[in-house]
Amino acid sequence: MSETKAPKKRDIFTDGPIDPTFIAESIAKHATRHDIGAHEIFLGQVRADMADGSGGRSSARTTAIAYTAYRDMANEQMIPIREEAFARWPITCLHVHHSQGIIKAGELCFFVFASSAHRQVAREAVAYVTDEVKKRLPIFGKEVLEDGEHVWKINT
Amino acid sequence: MLFGLIAEKAGTDRLTISAPDTGALRQALEERIEGLSSLSYALAVDRKITHENIELSGSEEIALLPPFAGG
Repeated sequence: MSETKAPKKRDIFTDGPIDPTFIAESIAKHATRHDIGAHEIFLGQVRADMADGSGGRSSARTTAIAYTAYRDMANEQMIPIREEAFARWPITCLHVHHSQGIIKAGELCFFVFASSAHRQVAREAVAYVTDEVKKRLPIFGKEVLEDGEHVWKINT
Repeated sequence: MLFGLIAEKAGTDRLTISAPDTGALRQALEERIEGLSSLSYALAVDRKITHENIELSGSEEIALLPPFAGG
């Protein structure tokens, strides 16, 4: 255990929406890994809700979410989540990306991607990482409404 | 450092306040930022959420975090 390397510094944040082409390229990069038999992906897309950000109803539709983050802390908090996922499931790799800035309804803001030999492992790891990121990372979302007002999104 | 709803309420994302510990800091912040005491927020010291009262030297990175909304 004394020989464990310091975790790599990774930045999960992307400015603006996550481009579907980037997702396709991420999948394609794994073609050389012949030990992988299953890829599991979660994609978060901004909804045009009539919601007030915390479970109630608003009078206007959401047109975009403006995401901000405490970037250094979020990237630090991501390290134990990754370690927990690798400790619990024999996944080959795990990739997490989250948007910063204004993401319009219909655009992608969150991408979680795990690969493993068999499907169940990747599926469980993605579900776990998706939930923990929502719970533990200091990311804030301002829902911009069509009437010019805004509400602050709260994860439940 | 202030984020999200708290930065909006304070009208800034940076504040300078002197306090000997996090308990006194919370009290000073709640007096300074209107409505903060009725909000749910976390205090992070050097990027770690802190619930107990800890002493501050003045060199720490302090952040006020409203509820998280990632995903």
